[in-house]
Amino acid sequence: MHLHKETIAIQEQLGEYCRTGEEQELPGITPGRMHHYHRLISNVVNDTLHTAFPITVAALEKSQWEELVQVFFSEGIPQTPQVWKLPFEFYQYHAGRETGKRMDLPFLDDLLYFEWMEIEIHTMPDRPYPDFVSEGDLFQDTLVFNPEYEIIGLDYPVHTHPLSEALHMKGDHFALLYRLPESGHVQFMALSALNVYIINRLQEEKVALKDIKHEFARVAGIESGRYLDDALAKYLGDLLERKMILGFKKE
Amino acid sequence: MVGLGLRRDIAEEILDNRILTPDFLEFAPENWMGMGGAWRRVMERAVDLYPISCHGLSLSLGSPEEIDWAFVRELKGFLDDNQVKIYSEHLSYTKSKNAHLYDLLPIPFRQDAIDHVVDRIRRVQDVLERPLAIENVSYYTPVAAEMDEIEFVSEIVDRANCNLLLDVNNVFVNAFNHKYDAKEFIGKLPLERVAYIHMAGHEQVEPDLIIDTHGQPIIDPVYELFEWTIQKMNPVPVLLERDYNFEDLEQIQGELTKIKSILKRHWEVNHASA
Repeated sequence: MHLHKETIAIQEQLGEYCRTGEEQELPGITPGRMHHYHRLISNVVNDTLHTAFPITVAALEKSQWEELVQVFFSEGIPQTPQVWKLPFEFYQYHAGRETGKRMDLPFLDDLLYFEWMEIEIHTMPDRPYPDFVSEGDLFQDTLVFNPEYEIIGLDYPVHTHPLSEALHMKGDHFALLYRLPESGHVQFMALSALNVYIINRLQEEKVALKDIKHEFARVAGIESGRYLDDALAKYLGDLLERKMILGFKKE
Repeated sequence: MVGLGLRRDIAEEILDNRILTPDFLEFAPENWMGMGGAWRRVMERAVDLYPISCHGLSLSLGSPEEIDWAFVRELKGFLDDNQVKIYSEHLSYTKSKNAHLYDLLPIPFRQDAIDHVVDRIRRVQDVLERPLAIENVSYYTPVAAEMDEIEFVSEIVDRANCNLLLDVNNVFVNAFNHKYDAKEFIGKLPLERVAYIHMAGHEQVEPDLIIDTHGQPIIDPVYELFEWTIQKMNPVPVLLERDYNFEDLEQIQGELTKIKSILKRHWEVNHASA
């Protein structure tokens, strides 16, 4: 290390000022200029987070949002060199400190997580697309799923209900987020636990629906028959139409 | 060659509509690395259509923390994959107490800082297996300086055996803000090391302070300084930096054209007569 302790201390003082805005005694500065650094850096962080979390910003009081940002940037230690990933660290920071509970915003973690996951799915590295054919049978053939998806679990249904309602619906909620093949746009849909079960089994085990239909009926506690077939056909047909299912495995 | 920064707001205008016609594109690797989906496809098309240079944001050459070597290795893969011709970074620091700050802080102009930065540039160049072009940054106040900016920059470029990205607008901004002569400053730079030039607009926010915003048109005195400068050096690529205010694309194209015409006036004539 070539830097003298004094130089390191000066650099860290400047960094500290930029993060907190708290005045520092720094040698050899031009009076009245320092605040521009704090302002410019705050603008970058504010703009990045404001853009990433539009629903959260709209849901919270202005002062609440500003507190979240200010506390994160002055006390958190942003680790990513890529500023577009900063929103994930913001989510992690507040989820790790139970900020939502402290601020009486119990849905906060879920909302930040859901909004981050929209960014994550949109920008995540490409996943290899499997071969598939467009024509096939939803029951008999192995379905080929869009590989660019995540299923997330939430305590509050922030993805389907206004927050004033979601607040009173604590439970096990699931959302499917996936990326459309051509446009790269992110789509999401609410899933029941049984929907999640079906997707996981079909996708991970690479089996056809006919092979797990009876198992599914047992898990769901419903009778295997015409009614179930119709419901499954409708559900999977919808996923096919919405390009969460791409097609059918080439035999 | 006159290039333009590839910003998401104008990617379509550059790649699809060809309203803007730069000779090459520059992008910040941090904004594209590790990205898939639609933006990756945009980047891939840009790489297919144009020569690419990269301008880094977060290497933090001047900070006390150790360089983030995992990031540098990932960066090398990115530069190799995209056949990047020039990679440049700022002579500043963006990280303090292990926290990224996402803006460019001025390094104290001191001998120990020179030693520190020289060592880091050398090691980064070794890992990247390519020369680094370091940019003279704009700054709004010196901090604990024990020498002039020109001494600081020149010694680093010389000892690190790196290239220089000469940001002409930054020289103008600093000369205004710190009351020195821009031409005298440029005249003292090791111009033979300049591998790349940046041009940009700025905003005067106080009677005695300009902020380097990259959001406004280039003003005439900066064009004049640019024209004066290029007559003292060999041809290198020139980039127009514009980070926002993209409403008037014809105006931006006009800036590209104007820079080109200045280059043509001096560099092509000299080349032909050489």
